[in-house]
Amino acid sequence: MLRKRNKTVIYGLYNDESDLLTAVNKANSKHLDIFDVYSPFPIHGLDPLLGLAESRLHIGGFIYGLLGTMTAFGGMTWIFTRDWPMIFGGKPYWSVPAFIPITFELTVLFASIGMVVTFYTICGLGPGVNNTILDERTSDDKFALAFDLGSLSNDKVDGLRSFLKESGAGEIHIKDI
Amino acid sequence: MSVVVSPIREPLIGGNKTYHQITEDICAPTETTPPKSWVIAFIASVITLAYGLFCIGWLIYFGTGTWNLNRTIGWGWDITNFVWWIGIGHAGTLISAILLLFRQKWRTGVNRAAEAMTIFAVICAAIFPVIHVGRIWVVFYFFPLPNTRGPLWVNFNSPLLWDIFAISTYFTVSLLFWYTGLVPDFATIRDRASGFRKKLYQFLSFGWTGSAKHWQRWESLSLVLAGISAPLVLSVHTIVSFDFATSIIPGWHTTIFPPYFVAGAIFSGFAMVQTLMLVTRHVLKLQDYITVSHIESMNKVILFTGTMVGVAYLTELFIAWYSGYVYEQFAFLNRATGIYWWSYFGMMTCNVLSPQLFWIKKFRTSIFWTFIMSIFVNIGMWFERFVIIATTLARDYIPSSWSYYTPSWVEIGIYVGTFGLFFTLYLGFSRVAPVVAIAEIKSILKSSGNQYVNHHKDAHHHNINEQHALDHLTAEHEGEHHH
Amino acid sequence: MNQFVFEKQQKSTFIGMMILGVICMVLTFVGDDAFHTRFWSNFLHNSVYFTGIAFGALFVLSASLLAYGGWHTIFKRVWEAYSLFLIVGLVLMGVIVAGVLGGFHHLYHWADKASVEADEILKGKSGFLNPMIYTIFTIGFVGIWFFIAQRMRAISQDEDQNGNESFSQHKKLKFWAAIFLPLGGFSSAAIIWQWVMSLDAHWYSTLFAWYCTASMVVTMYAFTLLILVYLRSKGYYTLVTQEHLHDIGKYIFGISIFWTYLWFSQFMLIWYANVGEETIYFKTRLEEYRPLFFLNLGINFFIPFLVLIRNDTKRKVGSLVFVSIIVILGHWLNFFLMIKPGVLHTAHELAHHDTHKVGGNESEIKMHSVKTSQENHADANSVPHTAAATHGEGHEVVSHDSHSDHAEVPAGFHFPGLLEIGTWIGFLGLFLYFVFWQLTKARLTPPNDPFVGESYHHHV
Repeated sequence: MLRKRNKTVIYGLYNDESDLLTAVNKANSKHLDIFDVYSPFPIHGLDPLLGLAESRLHIGGFIYGLLGTMTAFGGMTWIFTRDWPMIFGGKPYWSVPAFIPITFELTVLFASIGMVVTFYTICGLGPGVNNTILDERTSDDKFALAFDLGSLSNDKVDGLRSFLKESGAGEIHIKDI
Repeated sequence: MSVVVSPIREPLIGGNKTYHQITEDICAPTETTPPKSWVIAFIASVITLAYGLFCIGWLIYFGTGTWNLNRTIGWGWDITNFVWWIGIGHAGTLISAILLLFRQKWRTGVNRAAEAMTIFAVICAAIFPVIHVGRIWVVFYFFPLPNTRGPLWVNFNSPLLWDIFAISTYFTVSLLFWYTGLVPDFATIRDRASGFRKKLYQFLSFGWTGSAKHWQRWESLSLVLAGISAPLVLSVHTIVSFDFATSIIPGWHTTIFPPYFVAGAIFSGFAMVQTLMLVTRHVLKLQDYITVSHIESMNKVILFTGTMVGVAYLTELFIAWYSGYVYEQFAFLNRATGIYWWSYFGMMTCNVLSPQLFWIKKFRTSIFWTFIMSIFVNIGMWFERFVIIATTLARDYIPSSWSYYTPSWVEIGIYVGTFGLFFTLYLGFSRVAPVVAIAEIKSILKSSGNQYVNHHKDAHHHNINEQHALDHLTAEHEGEHHH
Repeated sequence: MNQFVFEKQQKSTFIGMMILGVICMVLTFVGDDAFHTRFWSNFLHNSVYFTGIAFGALFVLSASLLAYGGWHTIFKRVWEAYSLFLIVGLVLMGVIVAGVLGGFHHLYHWADKASVEADEILKGKSGFLNPMIYTIFTIGFVGIWFFIAQRMRAISQDEDQNGNESFSQHKKLKFWAAIFLPLGGFSSAAIIWQWVMSLDAHWYSTLFAWYCTASMVVTMYAFTLLILVYLRSKGYYTLVTQEHLHDIGKYIFGISIFWTYLWFSQFMLIWYANVGEETIYFKTRLEEYRPLFFLNLGINFFIPFLVLIRNDTKRKVGSLVFVSIIVILGHWLNFFLMIKPGVLHTAHELAHHDTHKVGGNESEIKMHSVKTSQENHADANSVPHTAAATHGEGHEVVSHDSHSDHAEVPAGFHFPGLLEIGTWIGFLGLFLYFVFWQLTKARLTPPNDPFVGESYHHHV
């Protein structure tokens, strides 16, 4: 199923990321409300211009990791001291050094799976998801700067169109996504 | 924003590429009918795989008695091959994780294929512990699962169990890391495809749009995954080494095993990457993306890790003497001069001596020698594991128990079969997914494309006038402060 | 400001530190036992520690050169200055060598001929553990390292003056770096076995050399951070930004984890297999040095790990300085823990051995027995009951009964005392004096290095 976001946007396509950065800068100085930017690769220095807050994914990763640490260490401690105490190789029931490897592995496993699942969930991506693509060339060599038309008046739309043109967009289109 | 690149850096992308050409070049193999050479290689791989499956079937039907394991050699080709494949599976994540953290840009040319290779190598490795248990239908006993056997748990103190955890984790994390990197590139193919292929890549690309926020999270995710994969990749071979080193068998119980196994794993992993990349870049015409400079960098890694392995061999040998522990001394004497002397000789020649050729730039940058050497290293690292395992076990404390071991046709067949599996998967991968990371290559084009790097050579400040250079730097510095 | 000026105030501070160090060393020497065990072990401890920093700097410089690492270029003169400290290290270790040859100290059990004769294991090792090899390795290897450090420094300075478009000096630097890396890799292992591991002469661990090297390298990074922060506050190195400090922070973080990995590998394998010859090393440390044993792990792993795991703490001067100080002290303790127990054991062995062998013939006994510390005299229970003897200098010498060896706690062994800290400050003054003096001899930022532009524009 094709997923739609029920938006109509106007977008300009740029040939180079530096042109796009300049355009975003200009849009900022004119206080234009940018809907989104689409690019074939991550652009260094774009995030602060778009006012994107730093991703908190790593904090999630830390918490998932901690959960893994506690699961592994707590689990082994409970099993070997309470549930089924057993002596292996003359070592104490609670053999901390022997628990470290599995504790480490589960920390990493929980952190990774947790973060990846979180990433796809918050981005609305995943197997079977089929988003409308603004312009298929943005995964090749074009950089798109898009504005939400919403209920903007025709004048405003023309203003955006001329802004895109002036800032160096090679093509300008309007599309429902 | 200006990118400053040192004038002595070699370009990493040749052929004056534009973004569009990069897309065209890298997507091409997924969009064209495979050449005859590919078809032949694929059929050969599938046949080999089928033979391997037959041997595995034979093993499961008749039991592990079909292997030539005996008392005292309870571990033979199975564990040797397992450790060998796991070792090979280290290069991919190392390239993507550790080289990412060290900001080595040349990794972008080879990381995708190396990660794929990692995953396939780990699959090959994982076969061995699974099939060696004899009763494969209860192989889930490996895991601490709730069961009907009462509260009977696995032994968490056993390095073999640590290994199960390490390898499952490593496989899962590598797969997630690899696939997350692939998603934007699948989107690139999707946006060029039509018909059934469009549907296929629509599914594979998870609905990727290239939105700025997605890229930001994607980068953050990659960085954190790299951060935790770096110790993970060290931990995997470390834990494999614990399988041996926690024992009290002379020649196995030595504290240098963990870092030395890791160095050896990186060593063999890079050798396998070289073997594959040299063929891949030729067949898929990717010479502009996997340049001689990439090959040279990997050869340097091979030289470095090979020398580290050499230091470890000599350390072991020396400390065996130094320890004054007669069994330890015997174990090493036996390795070098005992019945399996030839495998020790093979190990030393292939792993320590032959990589030293790479001190010479001519060899380091020669495709031919790199290919030969990569095969040498793969053989040498196989011998290393065989030396550690079979040689040590063949000579027990009690001379009356001494024995000899040669593999049976089933053991050889299974090993050969893993090659079939490995190459079947790799060949399939090379037609379905972009073998070079498209988005990452594009993101380094401006700093490493040959047309841009050459531009810097003429323009940027490597002024020989000292005062001028520093004035320039300081002025720029103050300029930035005022911003 | 690209030319460093060594101010008078700094000079006098460092000289003051050195004087304090000398006073502490004299006090240690005077109040010491007959072997001057405490004095010599402190001397060895600090010599190894600071020589290790110099070695670490040369190693990291060489590795960066070969790996096309460029971010550190604007402050690479600091590492060059560290690496030149190898000459001082050579002199310091030369003193230890002289002691081994002349029998002034009794740090090494294997250096005592009578002990080797009586000990099969030491006899077996005597091909490696003997004064001659010790001398040749120490003088030879450290000498070669210094030679290379000095060559690389000269080439680097030449680049300042005669840098050219083809970067010929940089190529020469890479040549020397390529020579040093394998050479340093092999020889440092042998040196560490000789200097440190052989203090516990019966014990062995194949991982030991790499473990020590990790300790040296992380200390080197921590010192670099502190010096850069200090020099920045003095108006130098304005080009060194948060980005560079962030990278040093990453290295401190990463190597601390790597050090812990090696610590764990060594400890866990020995704990797991529990082979007596090996386990004794950790048994001693766990039983008699318990607080230090856990402190070592705690401050060298948990503090750098927990503080620097966040990105923002790697960019803040305050947290970086805090962690660096902790790491510097922590790895000093690590060396303390590697060195002191072995030395104390040797002293006990020799004292025990000598009293038994020489018996009552006091005229032949020179400095052969170990005196308990002043503090322990107060404790009546711990006063050993063997005969007291007097030696030439008029000090009371109390020899140990072998059974009471472990009941006593000589000061400066089971935990560093004030004298240890004073001695360290003295060596630190020497190190800083030398480094600052070297910094005056070349421009702080090499203008013609091919990576200088990249280093300045460094963004993490």
